Amino acid sequence: MSATQIAGRMAGVDAGAPIRQSSLWQDAWRRYVRNRGAVAAGGIFLLIVAWCIVAPLVSTHDPNHVDFANAYQGPSWSHPFGTDQFGRDLFTRAALGGRISIGIGFGATLAILGIGVVYGALSGFVGGKLDNGLMRFLDALYGLPYLPFAILALAIVGTVDFWTMVVALSIASWFITARVVRGQIITLKENDYVRAAKAVGVRWYAILGRHLLPNTLGVLVITIFLELPGVILGEAFLSFLGLGINPPDASWGSMAQDGRDAYRAHPHIIIIPSLAIATLVLCANFIADGLRDALDPRTKET
Amino acid sequence: MAAYIIRRLVWTVPVVLLVIFMTFMLMKQIEGNPFRQTERAVPAAVQMNLERKFSLDKPWYVQYANYVKGVATGDLGPSLVLRDRTVNDVVKEQFPRSIELGLLAFGWAVLLGVPAGVLAALKPNSRFDYGAMFFSNVGFALPNFLVATLLIYFVSVKWGLLPTSGWTTWEHKILPSFTLGLVPMAYFARLVRGTMLETLQQDYVRTAKAKGLRWRRIVTVHVLRNSLIPVVTAAAPLLGYIITGSFIVENIFAVPGIGRYYVTAVSARDYSVVMGLTVLLSIIVIAANLVVDILYTILDPRTREART
Amino acid sequence: MRLRVPLLLAAAVVAALAVVAAGCGGGSEKEGAVGEGKKATSQVLRMAWGAEPPSLDPGLATDTTSSNVLLNIMDPLVRLGPDLQPVPALAESWDVDGKVVTFHLRDDGRWTNGDPVTANDFEYSWKRTLDPKLAADYAYQLYGIVGAEAYNNAKPAQAAALRDKVGVKALDDRTLQVTLTSAQPWFVQQAAHHSFLAVHEPTVERYGAKWTEPQNIVTDGPFKLADWKHDASITLVKNADWRNADRVALDRVEGRIIVDGTTRVQAFEAGEVDALDGGGLPPADMPRLKQLPEYEKYPALGTYYYGFNLKNVPDLNQRRAMAFAIDRQSIIDNVAQADQIPATGMVPKGMPGFETIEQNFLPPRADLTKAKEFMAKADDPKRTITLFYNDAPGHKEIAVAVQAMWNELGIDATIKAQEFAQYLEFLGPPPNDAVYVYRLGWIADYGDPMNFLELWTSKSGNNNSRFASPAYDRLIEKARNTANDEQRYEIYRQAEAMLTGPQGELPIAPIYWYTYTNLERESVMDSFQINPLDQFDLSKVVIKEA
Repeated sequence: MSATQIAGRMAGVDAGAPIRQSSLWQDAWRRYVRNRGAVAAGGIFLLIVAWCIVAPLVSTHDPNHVDFANAYQGPSWSHPFGTDQFGRDLFTRAALGGRISIGIGFGATLAILGIGVVYGALSGFVGGKLDNGLMRFLDALYGLPYLPFAILALAIVGTVDFWTMVVALSIASWFITARVVRGQIITLKENDYVRAAKAVGVRWYAILGRHLLPNTLGVLVITIFLELPGVILGEAFLSFLGLGINPPDASWGSMAQDGRDAYRAHPHIIIIPSLAIATLVLCANFIADGLRDALDPRTKET
Repeated sequence: MAAYIIRRLVWTVPVVLLVIFMTFMLMKQIEGNPFRQTERAVPAAVQMNLERKFSLDKPWYVQYANYVKGVATGDLGPSLVLRDRTVNDVVKEQFPRSIELGLLAFGWAVLLGVPAGVLAALKPNSRFDYGAMFFSNVGFALPNFLVATLLIYFVSVKWGLLPTSGWTTWEHKILPSFTLGLVPMAYFARLVRGTMLETLQQDYVRTAKAKGLRWRRIVTVHVLRNSLIPVVTAAAPLLGYIITGSFIVENIFAVPGIGRYYVTAVSARDYSVVMGLTVLLSIIVIAANLVVDILYTILDPRTREART
Repeated sequence: MRLRVPLLLAAAVVAALAVVAAGCGGGSEKEGAVGEGKKATSQVLRMAWGAEPPSLDPGLATDTTSSNVLLNIMDPLVRLGPDLQPVPALAESWDVDGKVVTFHLRDDGRWTNGDPVTANDFEYSWKRTLDPKLAADYAYQLYGIVGAEAYNNAKPAQAAALRDKVGVKALDDRTLQVTLTSAQPWFVQQAAHHSFLAVHEPTVERYGAKWTEPQNIVTDGPFKLADWKHDASITLVKNADWRNADRVALDRVEGRIIVDGTTRVQAFEAGEVDALDGGGLPPADMPRLKQLPEYEKYPALGTYYYGFNLKNVPDLNQRRAMAFAIDRQSIIDNVAQADQIPATGMVPKGMPGFETIEQNFLPPRADLTKAKEFMAKADDPKRTITLFYNDAPGHKEIAVAVQAMWNELGIDATIKAQEFAQYLEFLGPPPNDAVYVYRLGWIADYGDPMNFLELWTSKSGNNNSRFASPAYDRLIEKARNTANDEQRYEIYRQAEAMLTGPQGELPIAPIYWYTYTNLERESVMDSFQINPLDQFDLSKVVIKEA
């Protein structure tokens, strides 16, 4: 559901040319910065991350302190986001929730990347029958919904915490990444300098490590920001279905689920974490677009 | 090309078997007694009888073999929790509703998303363009449970225009399918806009313009057809999203489909239903991929060589 | 201006009214079952069920929704009156002679296909529920009958022989004789439970597992199952041939199945349904819902408690301290919010005999001073404990609140949530020693304290506390054989004292006694009643004119 799958499909067309690394990144940076939307998104993203890290440290409220007298307060000066049904400050809790949501987001995304890179690089690099087999497998399962398998995985482990959520969200989400990486590797493999290296006798792991993988870095960075929204929303969905993280810890998804039942009287409890999710997802999308334009000028839109 | 199709078809069999195997193994790892739905402990005799009835007392490989045999003959077994029904019953009764929901959602996406993308591309950087892209971004990013809750509150409870939940008359079907269709809608809008813009830059389009062909004819005959190819290929991952989203949407809107029951089945440890639904969903995705790949090969000759 | 009722539904109601008016020439002046108010011309109740019934086979149904549907489409031998004592239904009278209970059936019970309901139907059905092949979950409800447990436990080879030894016999078409293993004075009450319903043998034999489908099912109660769209709706229509049909006001009951709590409330507030099924309102929205005129609450026979693993929290004084530190009223007011009753014992208020049994040791409000005293008296108190609960709405919040309360005693409780089915496996039996404190609830099956107190016998599969007291077991055994209610309640009092009395072992810290909360439109509020066993009788419901 992202543009990486276009990238995957048109594997031959969208490869980054093997320019010398330093100027590729400098060029990319310059192009990125010219895109106002992407810069704004990047800024907001960093701001949110910063808020998540800093706010709980400087907050005067204990996020876990139960204080019924103050329950369900609307936004105010002392409680910028109001309080929840236990009287806990939502500003601090939302920041902490962000730590968990974003943390799970990156964790799962990196896991997806890890699996995808291994699978895709293996398939693309080795080629031949192995590639054929692995790709047939991938073709068939492409687009398999991650949610049923995430639910099953969580049911197996029983307790939902940070790491089990990361695992659950990544086991069935790596197909797109694998295909993209394979596409990249295959294209890069055909380049002259790689063939030259092979002819000279450079070992396969050196070729992989020094030439191929670093040149896929661009695509991987884009993939991170394309997968991130899916993972964050996935965690929100799982929390909504009752499979959220253990209290008193909370993620944005589990906070939204907490707030849904009371939405008529106290809508802020569901709205705030949902908006946080939406903002992060939007930013990630813009950043991904910006990166894609920056790293490959040919796909730039007018 | 026929060879390609046959090769793909042949490969789906081991993949399906693998999916069944992995789902089976996953299910076996889940602790929990499907026969203990409440806090009451199940007396030993009752537990024994139940396990015997559902063949859970046999070794796992026997259960697996029986299960595969069942799938091959189209018998997905009895439900462990819904005692009066078999998994086939559940699928037959509830699956069509999910399909309908998914198709309607897809319909919304095509109906609203594609024209939005086309129009935006035809007038790039206009107010319409920015507006359409803004809405599409919002639709994409807002979690669907929030959208659903708000829609029900405003449209049903406050203004009384549509029912809050259920799936009987056509009025019931509007809100849930719209909610589910938001993300695909947004995605299509962006995608179509992007590919159309790209196509519009292509030489053959500029040539056609230079030759003096009517703009409308250029757009409809040449540009649209080529821009819509990616829409076809986007269908597969979107199917994944629709299935995922349906779990939430069916839950909130009380749509009696399989997405709603899946979560209940997992927590109730209704092994056979969970297995049946997971396998079914996987087969659908696999089939959809096959169809899309074939369609893509037909539509875009450029990729035929790349597909080996 | 607000449109409260969607257009089509309004049109349907108007059409129905028009038809009824044309056919009957105006509404009748009959009063509703309770109170004044004219009967509305359209007696169609629209309600929301909270779950898809897993089964409408009395032998296989275990949940409340199935139970409620069944009790409205079938005719039990007895029903429960307002004080939970049995009142005649299909059985017009019964004799109890020690261990033998004889039911005398009415002669006007009819199946919907015209066949008369006979005692043979009951003998067949009860034995069928005990048949190991059916693997009925609630077979154990019938274990009080001689030979029942043996038959249910039988291997396929011996089954046939053991079937004949089960102590239920139809002496003739109208007499059903039941021989029990011990006096069990509550047996007749227990027979009001849905697992004691009769089924129509020819239908069951003919259709097998599909006999409960609306096109196949044959029933004998006040309503018929007109339609059952799985997971979507259940439609009941009045059974005009029922023995008491002229006292039934409702013509139709249109039930939508809505599983999500908030969606149910939304459907009610949008005017799409007029009553919910008592399955519970979302705790987080309670402060708002309690203000609505349509809010209704009913006492329930159920206890929500935290149990101790006596092996891990061996010190009685510590357990007393922890029990005294829980502010039950505060939890009810701020967390559970359904006007529950602070629980000071295992047996809930409203249970027959409660006044005798009630202990007054545990306080409804926290008593921190006393709690700290107890804590001080404890030698080697455990300061780091685990608290387990299952991940369902409400439990998390209570655990968080109690965690904070125990903090005051210097106890650091780590709370762990588990998914329900896994949680149940995890708890045991046998009890899990990773657990220090666990959360459970117990809802009554029938209206006698035995139902609650027998949980704590040493052999009980529901005793997760490792509480084993031969003296307690003896008391329970004695109660099983004490027919006289007053005497029995006195024995129960002693048993409860051993649990939650001043000298009690405190294997549990009860928190509250349940209530059933519901939303009902004013037109049905008076007649739609939920009894403490979570049952509601639709044959008594009358829709009053708005």
